[in-house]
Amino acid sequence: MAETRNIPRVVVVGLASCFGCQINITNIEAHLMEVLGQIDMRYWQLTSSDSMPEEFDVAVVEGAATTEEAMQTLRRVRERASAVITIGACAATAGIPGMAAPDWEPRVADVYGAQVPAIVGDIACAPRAVSEVIEVDYAVPCCPIDPHDFVRVLQKALYGGNEYDRTSTMCGECKRNERGCFYGRQTLCLGMVTKQGCGARCPNLGRPCNGCAGLSPDANLAAARIVAERSGVGAQRLDEALEMFNQESLRSA
Amino acid sequence: MLYRVIDADELPALVEAFMRDYEVIAPVRSGRSFAFEAVSSFDEIVLDYPTTLTSLKKYLLPPRETLFEYDMEDGVTDYELRVQPRVLFGAHACDINAMNNLDLVFEDARYPDPYYEAHRAATMVVGIGCTPDDSCFCHLLDSGEVRSGYDLFLVDIGGRYLVSIGSVKAADILEGACSPREATDADRRAFREYTRARQQAFNPDIPSVQEIPMLMDAFHSDAFWEELGSRCLNCTACASVCPTCYCFDIRDVLDPSGETGRRERVWDACTSPQFALVTGGHNFRAGTRERVRHRMYHKLNGFNSKHGRYLCVGCGRCVHACKTDISPIKVLEFFEQKGAEDAE
Repeated sequence: MAETRNIPRVVVVGLASCFGCQINITNIEAHLMEVLGQIDMRYWQLTSSDSMPEEFDVAVVEGAATTEEAMQTLRRVRERASAVITIGACAATAGIPGMAAPDWEPRVADVYGAQVPAIVGDIACAPRAVSEVIEVDYAVPCCPIDPHDFVRVLQKALYGGNEYDRTSTMCGECKRNERGCFYGRQTLCLGMVTKQGCGARCPNLGRPCNGCAGLSPDANLAAARIVAERSGVGAQRLDEALEMFNQESLRSA
Repeated sequence: MLYRVIDADELPALVEAFMRDYEVIAPVRSGRSFAFEAVSSFDEIVLDYPTTLTSLKKYLLPPRETLFEYDMEDGVTDYELRVQPRVLFGAHACDINAMNNLDLVFEDARYPDPYYEAHRAATMVVGIGCTPDDSCFCHLLDSGEVRSGYDLFLVDIGGRYLVSIGSVKAADILEGACSPREATDADRRAFREYTRARQQAFNPDIPSVQEIPMLMDAFHSDAFWEELGSRCLNCTACASVCPTCYCFDIRDVLDPSGETGRRERVWDACTSPQFALVTGGHNFRAGTRERVRHRMYHKLNGFNSKHGRYLCVGCGRCVHACKTDISPIKVLEFFEQKGAEDAE
């Protein structure tokens, strides 16, 4: 049966990131072989020193784009893949590498001096989200990704699906967990501007949202700043907290 | 309706009797607030709770419910309804009215919903009298009192409860667990004292407005809606806590094997940006002005046209849940202010 099917060829590419999302894919443990059985895994950067093959159907990309080599890789990926999936905050929003984006050139000079060492590569621009470089079909959010989310998105790319991408922010999910609001306790939480989908996992564990799922395109920052101000948290602290995962979105907002 | 009186110290026995055959859901302390949760002893229950973070609708319309399971080769494999017999103990009048409103939708004779019906049929409701807090306005939307939709309704009349009996099943359990007696004149006076005190406890600053559905139509294009909508965070907390927001989405969820899966019903919200997005890419309510206004219209106008009742029961949960102060109270205040302006 399996031999007669046209098995999709998949590559997993890592750019500027901690590689934690690639590792987290293996955390589906019990289901890993089932998932690998549905694809032809041609290349997984984390597990092999071989170079990326020329032919594949689905590309999974982790990390932000920072070098000319990364830009070229992404363009090559887009030319060959019928579906591009980003995994993790670094790929989706420039994430942690994106924190360095403001005042990028002086930062590079501070770190490397006049000459950037060859091993770093040809620094092309400030860290960018993958979607700033190429068109992205699917994104698995968060830092790190939930491996079950990854499987769900991969299957959507392979087989299609009828679940649409919601841009509402997180408080609705948080309320379903029967959680009171951090703002009533003068505590900063980014849930009110961060895209829903994770089930408000951190607030449900008693920790405020740090925004790793990314700013929702429908986030109402002006209203959120008023909430932060009125609750005693302060709008400035809200803005500063957003810099961790959302430099890119804030610049274009 | 049949009324009986039981002593307050008989209440634990009543709850224990329910626990023998049912999962008992009741208000308990949850952080700084209260929540409806399954309880295993009477002592966990907080009978004089002001309100809860979310409502009882989760027991009739679960946030996520499997409608059936399927196999990619063989199609639908299992559509067994999984129903837990429950007693919802300690529901306020607003919440019982809210469930009665949900009945109008899901038990509609033309399009009955078998999943909802199964949950509802396996659920008993024991109401309890309440003292309104500052954000309660049930009395302004005809939901301050409840005459049907419960099995028992308890009112604390000082060391004893006046019990309104709504079903034979509940009467039998009450009879078995307690020693219900006929109400005396003193009991009746105590009940009237309760209704009088409750009436006077409502927040007088929330304006009572007549002809709300007509006013909604009359002021449909007012700049008020733009201002109200401009504050919306698009978070859908309102719909999550609302006892009468019943919109849902349906999706198919594959198992990791890719061979089997489930069709799920999940809560949706008309305040979610994609709610009115249709095939082809058009969004009928693309902005917060349209979405917030639509939600208020359904609560205070649209449902009335079809069912002759407000959908909003004035429970006040969205008043607490919305961080930017969007709630039906703001709509009532807007109408109140309009009248005052015209009078000048």
